[in-house]
Amino acid sequence: MIGTIFDIKEMAVHDGPGIRTTVFFKGCPLRCIWCHNPEGLVAQPQLMFKEARCTGCRRCFVQCNHPDCRKFGRCIHVCPQNCLEVAGRTVEAGKLASELKASADILGDTFGGFTFSGGEPLAQPEFLLSLIEELKPHHLCIETSGYTDPDTFGRVIEKLDYIIMDIKLADSEKHQKYTGVGNELILKNFSILKNSSKPYLIRTPLIPDITDTEENLAAIKEIIGGSPWEKLPYNVAAGAKYKMLGMKFKMEGK
Amino acid sequence: MTKTYNFILEKKHHQFRHSVDWNLAEEYAEKGLSPIQRMADRFERLCKEEKAVILEGEQIVFLRTVSNLPAIFTDAEWEEIKAGHHIHELGFLSNLSPNYYDTIATGLLKKRETADEYGKQAIDNIIALSDKYLAEARAQGREDLVEVLTQVPRYPARNFREALQFFRILHFALWLEGNYHNTVGRFDRYIYPYLKADMDKGIYTYDSALALLEDFFLSFNKDSDIYVGVQQGDNGQSMMLGGIDEEGNDVYNLLSELCLKASCNNKMIDPKINLRVSKSTPADRYTEATKLTKAGLGFPQYSNDDVVIPALEAMGYDHVDATNYTVAACWEFIVPNVGADVANISAMSYPKAVDTALHKSLSTAETYEDFFAAVEGEIKAECDRICSGIKDLWFIPSPFMNVLMDCNIYEGGKYNNFGIHGTGIATAADSLAAIKKYVFEEKSLTAAELIAAVDSNFENTPELLHKLRFETPKLGNNDDFVDGIATALLDAFGAALKGRVNCRGGIFRAGTGSAMYYLWHANEIGASPDGRREKEPFGTNYSVSLFAKVKGPVSVIASMTKQHFENAMNGGPLTLEFHQSVFADEDGIEKVGLLVKNFIDRGGHQLQLNTVNLEKMLDAQKNPDAYKQLVVRIWGWSAYFVELDREYQDHVIARQAYTV
Repeated sequence: MIGTIFDIKEMAVHDGPGIRTTVFFKGCPLRCIWCHNPEGLVAQPQLMFKEARCTGCRRCFVQCNHPDCRKFGRCIHVCPQNCLEVAGRTVEAGKLASELKASADILGDTFGGFTFSGGEPLAQPEFLLSLIEELKPHHLCIETSGYTDPDTFGRVIEKLDYIIMDIKLADSEKHQKYTGVGNELILKNFSILKNSSKPYLIRTPLIPDITDTEENLAAIKEIIGGSPWEKLPYNVAAGAKYKMLGMKFKMEGK
Repeated sequence: MTKTYNFILEKKHHQFRHSVDWNLAEEYAEKGLSPIQRMADRFERLCKEEKAVILEGEQIVFLRTVSNLPAIFTDAEWEEIKAGHHIHELGFLSNLSPNYYDTIATGLLKKRETADEYGKQAIDNIIALSDKYLAEARAQGREDLVEVLTQVPRYPARNFREALQFFRILHFALWLEGNYHNTVGRFDRYIYPYLKADMDKGIYTYDSALALLEDFFLSFNKDSDIYVGVQQGDNGQSMMLGGIDEEGNDVYNLLSELCLKASCNNKMIDPKINLRVSKSTPADRYTEATKLTKAGLGFPQYSNDDVVIPALEAMGYDHVDATNYTVAACWEFIVPNVGADVANISAMSYPKAVDTALHKSLSTAETYEDFFAAVEGEIKAECDRICSGIKDLWFIPSPFMNVLMDCNIYEGGKYNNFGIHGTGIATAADSLAAIKKYVFEEKSLTAAELIAAVDSNFENTPELLHKLRFETPKLGNNDDFVDGIATALLDAFGAALKGRVNCRGGIFRAGTGSAMYYLWHANEIGASPDGRREKEPFGTNYSVSLFAKVKGPVSVIASMTKQHFENAMNGGPLTLEFHQSVFADEDGIEKVGLLVKNFIDRGGHQLQLNTVNLEKMLDAQKNPDAYKQLVVRIWGWSAYFVELDREYQDHVIARQAYTV
């Protein structure tokens, strides 16, 4: 089973118990205007241009014969500053798993487990499920928007040890406005999660005037009841990567 | 913080300083005084010139009021001495760990009985200076200080406060005598009994003991701006905590804990905190230590008893001495009291050995093994050159340092080994990985092409530069292909020094440190086959290359713990840089502690962690006045960022930082 990821982070300390390794899946059905991982939004590999390092030598515009450069119209193997990088790598689940297991071997007793993040890991459910099989019996955790069909959601969480799920906005219309989708599926999946025996954590990113309003937080509280809940402070500097991808950060200046 | 703290922080104590313009060298030359007579006389004059200054509320006194040490030799005399001897750095004794503790327990009057005539003279002068402080304490009505200074330094310390004050006087005197990189040694081991006795008597609470210790720690920072090494901060005031004693008992105690805390609270660059740990160190101690890492001072630096002690024993150190090891100014392993090792006498550049072999032997080497043998040959040749160049080592005799050592330091000590740093191992390993892969395995590059590209600084081969720099295996990714090359290089360096006897009858110890050579050696060669352009620096100490793309700290640890450190145990840490955000909560702190534990459990030898904040450093370059207290770690010492030269600032900025 082949999937697309955009990063692997060793020693993730905020993504679940113990020293963990986090895999970032590429592609997400949501378009949260505050997203700080824009390279996780579209499923296809993308060219990232780190303009700050560019000296203007224009060597990347000289035609080359590398097959992987063709679709970008620029040579990615010539920049002395490494300004051009491709975000997104397609990889077979078994191969990825053996790469990932290296960190478990190194850390031994101090290893906590693996976390699937993104992007939206549930957007590649079959790839995720085969990766889960390969990585068992390690402690496995997901960070998800919860936006997927309930059948997939149920099938996946059943295999996991810890679920971190966002509830960003309680009002579906606002959810549609700021994330591109309504929250019906998410709330439905939340009830599946709540009724499962799995340990979980609900997260809400605190976006000024959008999610971080008294009304929204009270409404979320109403929905999740006594569920464990973490509110994440937001850093506007997170917008830096948009420019590298030629994308527009809708929160710019906010 | 106390009034004294703010006074020192704002450098108001500088008002008490003055410099002297004595032409001692001419006078001594005319009188025909011997070097030791000159040292004894200068010390006497300086003690007389020093004024007693007691700041309001200050607990631990002694402040340098004379800011310079006039030369004792004329230029011509010094040239003559240098022509006949190997002079190490400034020529004064440095990087020793003297026996403060025996003196604190016996008093200077007792030490005087066995001292030579110059030692007696030095002791008399210190007591006279101390009496000036005593008189000032009386004048200020400071009864507490009167009591302390009536007892020490003449007589043994009777309690924690007297022990701290006594230490301060001895350490102050060593600096005033002209010795430098005066280390602190295993402070918690020897001072703890005084604290314990006072705690048992109920004299201190945890908090009041901590407050006193903070005042003591502050004393290391009062004069440190005049103890300048290569840069300000490079002053060697290293303190060792924890570790085992000769029976294998864990030394770590309440004082160790208080020291971590005092350093964390003071947030000053001295003393430099080191912590000895081992497989049996409990996980929560790493958490406590990581709280200090979070403070951003670059402390503590960890040394692994499981690895260091057996290696020292294998080099010929007695079991008792090996278990008692501490560090010199930065990270070089030395033995207190009896050791006279010169742990930083020179440095060998791995990338230079590779560069020489590249130009001399690559075109004729048939296999990678042939080529590596040529590199080994260059390492050996460089060691030949370094070792044969060190003859007739001579130090300016320091009578008071001699009093504090348990050996006749003029003759050398029980151990007289010379340490040689090894610079740029990652640059060399990465270069060899590129050569092995492209020239010998894939045969996609000829020797001539690679040499031409390196010699032209990759001007005409941008694609090759990109490939070498960003798409070739690098040390730090848990890749045996490169990691094994680093192992072979370290082994080669150890083997090249093995069996050699130095001019004092000791051995040569191979090391994993770089000191300032990461900049100096980098300028000795041009570009290198790892895609490093000319003038780009190497990584510091035992670290990965500055531009190597690594998977993360876990893989770096795996790569850097595979080597056979028993062959190269002069010291020099792996450095990891973490962004401040990693330490945002207790959970992050505990996890960094676990990572350190993992490094130690895997058999790593020495580790140093930095908390960095790139945004702050960049802003500090623009607005230095707003960041006077921003501390960064350089190679074996920490410094105030804004006081560093630009090239050192830029290197710190270029280092890898791991965020979460």
